Amino acid sequence: MKRLCTLLIIISFLTSGTFAQQAKSVILIYLDGGPSQTDTFDPKPDATRDIYGNLKGFCQTNVPDIILGEKLPLLAKIADKYSLIRSMTHGANGHETGHYAMITGDLSGGSVVYPSYGAVISYIKKDSYKGILPPYISLTAANNRFNEGGFLGNAYKSFDTGGAPEKGFFEVEGIINRFVKPDDFKKRTQLLKDFELQNKVTKTPEYTLLVDSFRRVNTEFIFGESRRAFDLSSESKEVRERYGMHRLGQSCLAARKLVEAGVPFINVRTTGWDTHKKHFQRMNEMLPELDQALSALLADLDEKGLLESTIVVCGGEFGRTPRVLWEAPWNGGRAHFGKAFSYLVAGGGFIPGKVLGKTDKTGEEIIERKVYPADLIGTIYQLMGIDPKGTLPHISEGALPILPSLGKQGQSNGLLYEIIKK
Amino acid sequence: MMGQVTNSEDFSNPIRFQGKETESRCSDAVFLRRTYLVMTGQLPAAGQAQVFLESKKADKRSLLIDELLESEAYVKYMVMRWGDILRIKSEFPSNLWPNGVQAYNRWLYEKISSNTPYDVFVRELLLSQGSNYRSPAVNFYRAFLKRTPENIYQNTTLLFLGNRKFNDQGYLCFSQIKYKTSKEWKEEIIYIDNQLKPVVKSVKINKNSAIPLTAGEDWRKAYTDWLTDKQNRRFAAVMANRMWFWVFGKGIVQEPDDWGAHNPPSDPALMNLLTDRFIDSGYDMKSFFKLILNSDLYQSESYTGSLFASRRMPAEVLVDALADMTGISDEYRSRVPEPFTIYPQGTRAVDLGDATVSSTALELFGRVSRDISLESQRSDALTSRQLLYLMNSSELEERIRKSPVLNDICKRERNIPGICREITLSTLSRFPTQEEIALYRKYAETNQLSLRNLASEILWTQINSIEFLYIH
Repeated sequence: MKRLCTLLIIISFLTSGTFAQQAKSVILIYLDGGPSQTDTFDPKPDATRDIYGNLKGFCQTNVPDIILGEKLPLLAKIADKYSLIRSMTHGANGHETGHYAMITGDLSGGSVVYPSYGAVISYIKKDSYKGILPPYISLTAANNRFNEGGFLGNAYKSFDTGGAPEKGFFEVEGIINRFVKPDDFKKRTQLLKDFELQNKVTKTPEYTLLVDSFRRVNTEFIFGESRRAFDLSSESKEVRERYGMHRLGQSCLAARKLVEAGVPFINVRTTGWDTHKKHFQRMNEMLPELDQALSALLADLDEKGLLESTIVVCGGEFGRTPRVLWEAPWNGGRAHFGKAFSYLVAGGGFIPGKVLGKTDKTGEEIIERKVYPADLIGTIYQLMGIDPKGTLPHISEGALPILPSLGKQGQSNGLLYEIIKK
Repeated sequence: MMGQVTNSEDFSNPIRFQGKETESRCSDAVFLRRTYLVMTGQLPAAGQAQVFLESKKADKRSLLIDELLESEAYVKYMVMRWGDILRIKSEFPSNLWPNGVQAYNRWLYEKISSNTPYDVFVRELLLSQGSNYRSPAVNFYRAFLKRTPENIYQNTTLLFLGNRKFNDQGYLCFSQIKYKTSKEWKEEIIYIDNQLKPVVKSVKINKNSAIPLTAGEDWRKAYTDWLTDKQNRRFAAVMANRMWFWVFGKGIVQEPDDWGAHNPPSDPALMNLLTDRFIDSGYDMKSFFKLILNSDLYQSESYTGSLFASRRMPAEVLVDALADMTGISDEYRSRVPEPFTIYPQGTRAVDLGDATVSSTALELFGRVSRDISLESQRSDALTSRQLLYLMNSSELEERIRKSPVLNDICKRERNIPGICREITLSTLSRFPTQEEIALYRKYAETNQLSLRNLASEILWTQINSIEFLYIH
C-alpha cells in the first residue's frame, strides 16, 4: 500500500506541473500562545481605548497605507519586504485546536491526525534534499501539543536543537557537546568498537550493519559541516547584535545560517504570547525583541540574496481579543481569538508590500477576504513546488489529500494568488 | 517449519526443553533481561540480576515469571500498553483532559492488578455510562474526535476483532450514545437514549449472527453479549495474538490489528491452540502470559528470522533505563492545565499515562502519540538521530558524569573488576567477561583515568552497544 501511495504521489507530481517551485526553504517564526494582532500587524488607532488599550500609537511604514503597532518601528521601515494577512481565521479558541489548525491546515474534524507542514515538507523533500542536517529543525524545541509527525510518523518530526543560542556557546543536542572534546570522543568510540568485537550476545548481524552505518553518519555529523552551520561565533559581533542578543534574535540568526546550509524547513519557536494578564506590560517587553529579530532576519536575507528563495512566515495559533478585558482577574488582558487575526509573510515568491484581507474598525469581524489555514499552507506548498491538491500515504486509509480542507466551504477560501508572483 | 506446534503435547509441557534441532535455549542472562523488559518494561537491578544468575534452582525461570507477573511494574506496564491503544491523552485528538486521564488510568490499574478476565474487562468498557470523572470507563467513548456511531463501531471492532468493519450495520448498536456537558469544568456525561426507536429489528453482523435491537434497551448490551460469547473465537484469538505480539515482538497474525482473509496466521495450528487455551482459562490474561513465557518457543535464542523478534527497547523503557542507570530522570512537562506542570524528579516514563506529557528524549525515541488504536503506531526501529543522542548529547553526558549511582558504585567497589561487575549487571543484566575487564583496564591505563571517570566511560560504552539497545 505504501509503495502504491508513493507511486501515486510521483504520478501526481509529473502530471500537475502547472506551477514552478520558487522557494527552497521556509522559516516559520511561531509566536506560541497566540500574539495580539491589534498591538502588532492590525492596529486600530482610531478605535476606542477598549480596543487599543495602552498602545494607541502606530508606526507609519515605508509603504503608504500600511501602518503597524507602535512597538514595531524597525519593521515599519521595511514594509516593502513583506506582506500582511489581516484576515486569518479558523474560529478555534483552544490552544490545542488552534495550534493544530495553524500547523496542519486541517479543519475537517476527521478522525485522522494530520502532520504539520514542516513534517509534510520534510517528507516530500526526503529524496531531493541531500544535506547532512535534518530537513526540519526547530530552534530550540517544537511545540508538542500534538504529534507533529501525524500519520506520516515520527521520522518526519522536527529535530529539536535544545540549548540556548543567546549564550556564548550554542549547545546543539547531539552535535555540540560541551563536555566531550573531539579527541575524547574518538577514544571512546574506539573502546565501543573493541567492546563490540568481543561481544557474543548479539546474534543479529543486520543490526550490527545498521548501527555501524548510523555511527559513521553521526561521526561525520558531529565533526563536519553541520557543526559550522550552528556555530554562531563565526558571525561578527555586529551581525549578532543586529539580530539582538536574546533567544529570539539569535535563533533567527541560526535560522539564516541553516537556510544557507540548505535546510528546507526551520521552525523558530518563541513562547510567552499567551498574555491573559499583564498584557501591555508583556507587550512592552516582547515586541521590541520581535521587531529587532524579525526585521534583522528579513533585511539580512534580502542583502544576502536569499529572500527570493526563502519564505518567512510569522504568527501564532490564533490572535487575541481586540477588546481589552479590563476587569479582574485580567486587569487589562486579552483572551484567545481565533475569529480574526494576522500573519506576516515574506520572500520565496510572496509579493511584498501588500495587505491581504481587512477587519472592521474594532478588529472583531473580517470584512474582506477571509484566509483560512489551508489557504496559507497550500500557498506555501505551492511555492515550495508541492501540489496542494496532492496526496499523502496513510498506513490504513490509503492515499489522503495533503490538505483535506482546501476548497471546502467554510474551511477554505482559495490559495493566496493575490500576493504571490506568477 | 521452525516453531511449528505439531501437537498440543509439546506446548502443554512447556518447561521441559524439547531439543528441537533448529532451536537452542537462550542463556539465563538473556532470559532474565528479556523477561524483565517485555513483562515489566524495566531492567532488573544489579542485585536482582546477580541473585537470579547465581541461583542453582532448577525451576528458577518459572519462579521468576511468577514473581514478575505479581509485580507492580507488570501492572503499570500493561496500563501503558492499554493506554496506547485506548488513546489516553489530555489534549488533541482524544481531549480527555487530565482529570479524565487520571480516572481512566486508575481504573485500568485496578482491572489489571486484579487480573480481571478479558471478557469482563471489555464488557465494562463497552457498557459504560455516566460522567467521565466518576465512571472512568466511559472515557472509552469520550476519546473520539468524530463521535459518530460508525466511527465508534469501527474503532471497537479494530480493538476487539482486529480490523475496522465498514460493511455491516453493527454501528446501529452504538447509535443510542449521547453526550452532554455539566457545570463541572470539562466534565461530560455519556448516556444511552433509550427513547430512540430501532430502525431495523435486528442487525446482521455476519452470515451466522444477527443482533436483536429491542426498543427501550441498551443495544450495546446485545452487541457485547455477541462479541464476548465463547462461540466468537475471533474475540479471544485477537487478544491472544496481541499478548503474543507484546511478548514476542511479532504476532502470529502480523500486524496484530490487521486480521482478515488477506492476512492469515503464520502458524494456524499454534494460533488455534492459543485461542483454545485463552478461552478455556476463562480469558485469564496472567495465566496466558505464564503459558507462553514458560514455553520453549519463548525461551529459545533469538537470531535473524527467529520467532522471538529482537527489537530496540521501546521509548519509555529505554528512557527509564537511562534514568535508572544514571540515577537522574528526564524532565516531563504537561501543558494542560495551565500553569504548566513539571513532574517531580524520579517520575517514570512508563507511568506518565498521558501522551500529552512528554520530554524531548521520549519524543525522539518514538513514544506513541496515541492518535490511533493501531499497535503499528509504535515504531521500535532504531534511527540515526536516536543514536546521535546516545553518542553525543550534553544532557545525557551530564547525567552520566554527575550520576549518584556511579558515585556509589565507585565508593563501594574501589577497583576495576568491581565497578565493571556492578555496571554490567545493571546495564546488560550479566557478569562482565574477563576480556571486557581487561579491555577497560587497558583503557584506564592508557588514558590515565580515575576510577570514577572510567565508570562514566564504561556506562557510555554499554548504553551505546547493540547488546543494550536491543531486546535479544
